[in-house]
Amino acid sequence: MRTALTKPLARKARLSLTTAAAVSLMLLASGCSGGQAPAGGASGAASESAAAAPQTGEAASGEAPARGDADLVIWANGPVVQALQPIADKFGEENGITVEVQTVATELQTNFVTANASGNGPDIVMGAHDWIGNLVQNGAIDPVQITAEQKADLLPVATDAVTYNGQTYGMPASVESLVLIRNKALAPEAPASFEDLLAAGNAAVAAGTAERALNLQVGPKGDAYFMQPLYSSAGGYLFGKKADGSFDTADLGVGKEGSIAAAGKIAELGEKGSKVLSTSVSADNSIALFNQGKTAFMVNGPWALGDVKKAGIDYGLSAVPGFAGMEPAQPFTGVQSFYVASKGKNKSFAETFVQTAASQKETQRALYEAVRIPPAIASLVEEVAQTDPDTKIAADAAAAGIPMPSLPQMAAVWAPLGQAEAAIAGGADPAATMEQAGQTIAGALK
Amino acid sequence: MTNLLTEAPAEEGAPARRTNMLVRKDGLELPRGKRWWREVGWRHMVGLAGVAFAGFPVLYIISAAFNPLGSVATTELIPTTFSLVNFETLLGGSKGPFGTWYLNTLVLCTAVSVAQVLLSTLAAYAFSRFRFYGRRGGLLALLLVQMFPQFLAVVALFLMIAKFGELVPAIGLNTLAGYALVLMGGALGQVWLIKGFFDSIPHELDEAARIDGAGHFRTFTSVILPLIRPVLAVTGLLAFVAVIGEYILASIFLTDNGVKTLAVGMFGIIAGDRSNNLGVFAAGSVMIALPVLILFLYLQKFIVGGLTAGSVK
Amino acid sequence: MTTRTKNSSGKAVGPGLSLGSTASVPALLAKILGLGAVLGAAVSLTPLLLAGGEWALLIGLWAGAAGLLAVYSTKRLVPLKYLLPGTLLLTVFVLLPILSTVQLSFTNSGDGTRGSKEDAVSTIVRNSVTQLPESRTFNLTVGTTGSVADGPFTFFLVEAPANGIFAGDEQGLRPLAGEDVTVDGGYVRGAGGYQILTGKEVNAAGPKISGLTVPTDKGAIRAQGINRAFEGVQTLTYDAGTDSITDSVSGKVFTVQQFGDREYFADANGSKGFDQSWERNVGFANYVRLFTDPQVREALLGSFVWTLVFAVGSVATTFVVGLLLATALNDPRIRGLKFYRAVIIVPYAIPVFISFIVWQSFYNKDFGLINSMLGGAKIDWLGDPFLAKVAVLLTNLWVGFPYMFLIATGALQALPQDIAEAAKIDGASSWTTFTKVQFPLLLVAVAPLLVSSFAFNFNNFNVIQLVTGGGPFPASGGQIGATDILISGAYRIAFGGAGAEFGFASAISVVLFIVTAVLAGIQFRYTKALEDVR
Repeated sequence: MRTALTKPLARKARLSLTTAAAVSLMLLASGCSGGQAPAGGASGAASESAAAAPQTGEAASGEAPARGDADLVIWANGPVVQALQPIADKFGEENGITVEVQTVATELQTNFVTANASGNGPDIVMGAHDWIGNLVQNGAIDPVQITAEQKADLLPVATDAVTYNGQTYGMPASVESLVLIRNKALAPEAPASFEDLLAAGNAAVAAGTAERALNLQVGPKGDAYFMQPLYSSAGGYLFGKKADGSFDTADLGVGKEGSIAAAGKIAELGEKGSKVLSTSVSADNSIALFNQGKTAFMVNGPWALGDVKKAGIDYGLSAVPGFAGMEPAQPFTGVQSFYVASKGKNKSFAETFVQTAASQKETQRALYEAVRIPPAIASLVEEVAQTDPDTKIAADAAAAGIPMPSLPQMAAVWAPLGQAEAAIAGGADPAATMEQAGQTIAGALK
Repeated sequence: MTNLLTEAPAEEGAPARRTNMLVRKDGLELPRGKRWWREVGWRHMVGLAGVAFAGFPVLYIISAAFNPLGSVATTELIPTTFSLVNFETLLGGSKGPFGTWYLNTLVLCTAVSVAQVLLSTLAAYAFSRFRFYGRRGGLLALLLVQMFPQFLAVVALFLMIAKFGELVPAIGLNTLAGYALVLMGGALGQVWLIKGFFDSIPHELDEAARIDGAGHFRTFTSVILPLIRPVLAVTGLLAFVAVIGEYILASIFLTDNGVKTLAVGMFGIIAGDRSNNLGVFAAGSVMIALPVLILFLYLQKFIVGGLTAGSVK
Repeated sequence: MTTRTKNSSGKAVGPGLSLGSTASVPALLAKILGLGAVLGAAVSLTPLLLAGGEWALLIGLWAGAAGLLAVYSTKRLVPLKYLLPGTLLLTVFVLLPILSTVQLSFTNSGDGTRGSKEDAVSTIVRNSVTQLPESRTFNLTVGTTGSVADGPFTFFLVEAPANGIFAGDEQGLRPLAGEDVTVDGGYVRGAGGYQILTGKEVNAAGPKISGLTVPTDKGAIRAQGINRAFEGVQTLTYDAGTDSITDSVSGKVFTVQQFGDREYFADANGSKGFDQSWERNVGFANYVRLFTDPQVREALLGSFVWTLVFAVGSVATTFVVGLLLATALNDPRIRGLKFYRAVIIVPYAIPVFISFIVWQSFYNKDFGLINSMLGGAKIDWLGDPFLAKVAVLLTNLWVGFPYMFLIATGALQALPQDIAEAAKIDGASSWTTFTKVQFPLLLVAVAPLLVSSFAFNFNNFNVIQLVTGGGPFPASGGQIGATDILISGAYRIAFGGAGAEFGFASAISVVLFIVTAVLAGIQFRYTKALEDVR
């Protein structure tokens, strides 16, 4: 019945486009080739004239930085972006160019590699030094020549961190590692050992002044970065070192003796032990809980201090202590660095910016003021220490830490190790779990 | 809020068959007592439960938006403090040009959803009213293609838009137009929904129009289209909401602060520091949700109007 | 009804004469203008595409333009006139990316193999240029006797801190006396017969200038940026003839060797010399790995069951709740109807990523809103595999039920009222009317949407990623978590192991796509939708 009705309708129907629909249809259909100009010829003519006269094209691009075709484009992420823009503007003024700092909210590293490979990336990218291995294997960044004078001024841990296979690939801007932050009202003294820390924290809890002895974020998926001070103090390591100081990926430390000892310690502190470590303390709430004054100690980065101050907590800072009678706790040191994109359109300016502007004291001071992370220049650390002793403590902690391995192979380590540690904190069998994690990682490294 | 009854389609001339009935001045009958519970009262219960479930996270977001501490651990369901500091931070621009993002989002969402509904309606009309070779296959293929998660092909999309940008800078990377084009891949995403409603319109109407001498396009615009206004409203809203929430592709195509949408800009705020920016994030969420809500309330008239049902009688 | 239509078509022509044959002048004009625009765009883009050698794009452009012209300039092909615009966009932005994903699944593309072999070689060689401890650095200005864009270029170098002044080019370095040049602020600002380039000009000529090396007895001087140069040594050289890289310091020779599905430059002992590899075709290797690697296979099979539960569960819960609310609120007699509808729709007005982030915080064991609403319970929502699944479904219910509410409300309103009234007059109860009359009709209208909702949730990456991140994870360190559905699990395998593996991830995507399609096909067989499609 229905088909009988509609078939003749379809057959006899004829074209009858009304004005409005015709125009909009055509525009939409031609959208992928002609843009939104009412006449397709217009946009074509515009691009032709631009091609014929590159000078005017350049001037036009200078007038429209919002389109993202500034002479020099920097990609970064997080709170440094705002501190970077004035520095970028100054560099632009000095060189008569426009410089733009852009935030790439998610997956900065991946997006950078993809964009760079297709020639659409920025000229400079800023990120942690542990990206270097992956960026180098993808040919995404070029070496940065750090002069002898610059090297003399930088913290050794910073230059070590940006050195990969004997070449330097980034200009260090700041160093960061975990420190121990204590609420002086609850724990007046900096503890000498982890046991002292627990004693002081538990005393505060017993006295009813605190709800938690320590915030060391674990989260449901674990966090090997935050667990590293304890892991290293108990003798755990990730990769052994070759004679020349580079990492030996054949010597995996996860599952070995030291890591088993660390697993035992984590279990003691976990849900089935003293309940100091909990998977419910995560990056989302660790700082906020401490700021409510409910926690005696917190292991966190110096970036947390701004908020701690804002919350009005009378805090003290010290290095994360190790277990008594074991190795000193060595947190991972991360070095925020500037990199020159290998396929940037303005490599010369990019190299100069990274070489000069990024390495200047004023730049690092501005970044320091924005995020309160110790600068990578040793003399600047001393200058800042005059008014801000915290930064000196944080810088010393970073200098004593282990540069995060920048091997691409680390991608196979972080997640399984963190998961194992979270599980152990949650009550899983320490030795078996850690050994299994070692096997998983070794399997992925093959 | 409650004067809806004056807007609702009145069932004129419905005989007041039943006793114990309150007949209001707009002609609607309201039963009383037990009958009220059976016919209307339970609806209130279900409605209240729905409101509670839908509302409590919203209340939490509002509470966080007005909480000056604004962190995950310090926010409670019922607001205990009131401060506009989060809104000031957001509008002050220290977290990014919120106003620009807002405008970008409104322009983008409007353009993309209007285009999607238009193209989907055209295609749905063809699928519903014409019989042609490949029609059934086309409909099924459409459904299958829509199942492919676009973000898995993001590398390919990125390279494509980059290439377009080299040829026509106005539709390249970091342009709203280029990003809108990518989203127009979903231009036929609403075909199934709209076709379902076309199918529910009796073909006698078309036939009558055809006998009157109207061509297929005239039949479409002057007979069918007015009847499906409710579904156009619904699909327009669906498209709008889908576009406003998209952030995976946006974060790759829009890196320049000046062209970002709210989703990618806001994600940058929360990703930068989740524990401390919840308040600002929540403040932004409140401001994003408002226009969509207003849009819905405006379109509700169409949805509720029941035009199709009325004209079929 | 008939009369109304007649009135609305106004000056309708007599029966038998279709409007198309007497198309009005404005409509005709619009058509010509529109088609002209398409043609104009195609013509104006052609020279650009020709110049760039973009043959595929050129063919695509003209195919699209020709298609539009063919369809809209004739009076035949009526259905296509309605279908073409959307179909074109779908082809370009969905189908082509799918095809290129399929193509990618036959390669080893990923981190370390993103570029071509030439790229890898040039990176390896370029990265071997290092400064020696005793090597010199210079303040650089670039001069030319030719054009600022093409050279030939000469480096004017002021050695820091010794202040020796030199000129350098391919021939080598020669010292300059102070009087030959103007020096200001440590830089050569002028030289007889030379034009000194501005910073912008140096940048613009970047590739040419960075290719210029000034040989010295220790190595070579190269520019770094617009105003510096350094003396460095390039230790590696590539020989295209033997396809090998030689290290001038250690004397080692690296040749191309196979490691897994990748090729690297490796030394005579078979150990990798460098991290860089390159993209190559690997045939079906990714698919073979997908079905034979026990770790991958087991993990994916395990999450397949949960994916089905999740997708079916999401559709079922959202539809039931949405329909219940829509039915309950489909009565104009309810006071405050607008208020109910407005609040119920609010979750839909909030962008999903906001909802997911907020809900994720609700589930925290110690500080989350849900536990605190349960009177301070210590339920470990995200730590327990079962509860985490409940949490994901609950979150997805909140996010999804307003959609179903909208659909169901729309569908209920579109149902002919007289059918329900007729049933009522026949003495059927409200419940019977609903289940026997309204519900089946409604299901016909929404069944395709339920199927596509299923397909959407089958691949709902966002909710998993933002609410649980796939967790909780097995303590053994397995890559797939308890709440990982296939797509998020695939994502974790592809990007979580030893770096991104696009080729492998694409193979998983293709298989997932096929699985989704087959499942949707099966569902169609069992819904009335298929009959309707006929």
